[in-house]
Amino acid sequence: MKVETRVPETIRLRHAVQFHDGPVDQVDRAVEFAGAAVRRGERLALAVPADVEQAVFRAVGEAGIVSLATPSGAGGGSGQTTAALRARELRALVQSDAGVTVLCAHDPALDGVDGGYWTELDAALNVALGDLPVDVVCLYPGFPLHLEVLEGAQANHQYLMVGGALQENPRHRCPQVVLRERDPSTPLVLGPPDLTHRYNSWQLHEVRGLVATLAPELGFDPVRAEDLVLAVNEVATNAVEHGSPQAEIHLWATAAGLVCEVHDTGELTEPLPGMVAPHPADPRGRGIWIARQLCDLLHVWRDRTGTHVRMHATP
Amino acid sequence: MVEQQRITVERVQVRTAEDLGSGDHACAVPVSDEGLWELTARFLASGLARNEKVVYFDDGTSERVLDRLTEDRMPIAGALRSGQLQVVPAEVTRGAFRSPVGDVRALLHSYVDGSVTQGWTGFRMTGQMSYGATTPAGIPLQAYDRALDEVVVDRGLTALCLYDHTHYSDDQIEQMRGVHREELGAPAAYDDGLLRITQTARSAVRLAGEADHSNRPMIHRIIAEALDRALRAADAETDIELNLASLRFLDVAGAVALVHAAEEFPSSHRLVLTDVRPAVLRVLDRCGAPFAAQLSVREARVGHE
Repeated sequence: MKVETRVPETIRLRHAVQFHDGPVDQVDRAVEFAGAAVRRGERLALAVPADVEQAVFRAVGEAGIVSLATPSGAGGGSGQTTAALRARELRALVQSDAGVTVLCAHDPALDGVDGGYWTELDAALNVALGDLPVDVVCLYPGFPLHLEVLEGAQANHQYLMVGGALQENPRHRCPQVVLRERDPSTPLVLGPPDLTHRYNSWQLHEVRGLVATLAPELGFDPVRAEDLVLAVNEVATNAVEHGSPQAEIHLWATAAGLVCEVHDTGELTEPLPGMVAPHPADPRGRGIWIARQLCDLLHVWRDRTGTHVRMHATP
Repeated sequence: MVEQQRITVERVQVRTAEDLGSGDHACAVPVSDEGLWELTARFLASGLARNEKVVYFDDGTSERVLDRLTEDRMPIAGALRSGQLQVVPAEVTRGAFRSPVGDVRALLHSYVDGSVTQGWTGFRMTGQMSYGATTPAGIPLQAYDRALDEVVVDRGLTALCLYDHTHYSDDQIEQMRGVHREELGAPAAYDDGLLRITQTARSAVRLAGEADHSNRPMIHRIIAEALDRALRAADAETDIELNLASLRFLDVAGAVALVHAAEEFPSSHRLVLTDVRPAVLRVLDRCGAPFAAQLSVREARVGHE
């Protein structure tokens, strides 16, 4: 990566992968990469497992390095939710700086059942970070437990990092194609919902009423409760506007806040709605984007029965 | 011939809540909850403005009525403190309908006596009387209404009886309509039970309730109409005002519609959103309202009074 090429108007996301031979090699490569970036005076952000992060800090210090938030939901995590979170953090960082270099590393603890989390995360990052002057380098194992992790990494990265230089990746494919061809990222099934409600376009106020009633009981303050009502309204509206005339909402009241799912029988053409803020002139697509900003988790998936969205919000 | 014409004129003339004065006893049938709050608040507010004693017989509805008065910028805290505005608790309202008609007549006389002693210029009352329609004492609501009418004539008070569809059946409404001499009109440009739109001036419109996917086209239409009126009249204001004091929910597409509408205005005109509630303000902020040059957003004043 050359510092002199960094001209904000022309630079977009550069997303590269570097394969390693195992945990020890991963740490070595992370330390080497971080050291080089800091020496070049780049703003560095880390999204790596805790042991890798500690090794980096020991070797190059913590000055000028930002730790990105750790995604929650090990084993059942949502790659698109993590990507939305990263986009939010990085957008704030680049506003105050020319650009950011990001070092990511694979963490098998987040693989879930098949490693699909990583495929979805990298594809979603390609969508969510596309317009940001950000260089992202991801460290992936050359021999992962789940083949999906290797195949996803090969398809999602525009560049291969070889010997400190970027090479075009011939296997790179656009995120929509990657996501459309893989199995739906169905999250782990939850128990029976506390509340189920079928609704149509004229009954959205009933959906809002359910959330507005539940939210204070779950510890949401009035402002957060209003935001939550808005978030659920937008997802529920999308289901009956673009999905099917009738949709269904399931609500779970949990100790960790509100979980809800919206199911419609329609087909979603855009595999990852709401990952980027729509252009101000575009009347569509803003609702889901705002809902993603307001929820701790917003996971969209499709299968033969239709389109589904799960949301989780903590007080 | 002359006689007939006079009757026709009387029937066509529909008075509003502000027109009612001493000796008037009218009914009204609001088409929606928002219409009910609006009408009640207007009736009470005009009594406060005339320095009358104003009494609301509550039955679970006073909170929304007081909210609406605040949204209408009526300084109610002072009126509640001084006793000019009195909310009669639900137990008392219900208790009246468990009492003989004579007791209720005496109760009303005592209220009027009290207002005279306190030096108010008059006495007006309304409230949520639907408990009476269930005839808990076996006495029809009409009998209580007759007693009220006697006191109205006798003592010159002002009474508005409200029969809304949420609390009364269609049959009950028709019966009560039949025993009132006058029914008030409360015209709205649009009212679907969720969103109520009223025109408050030539280029000012007020939205009350909730705006979502089900009534989205109305937002565009109402702004276009207000703009059209302003453009056609040479001396009209160049600000199109949308009062959002009583708009409790606005979805993202609705907020985007407002921002886009303002951006499409001719450069001579502005869209001004007034008394915007905090939740609605946050949605507008997230939808680019701060960057729309021809859109002005004014927050609701914080706190009552």
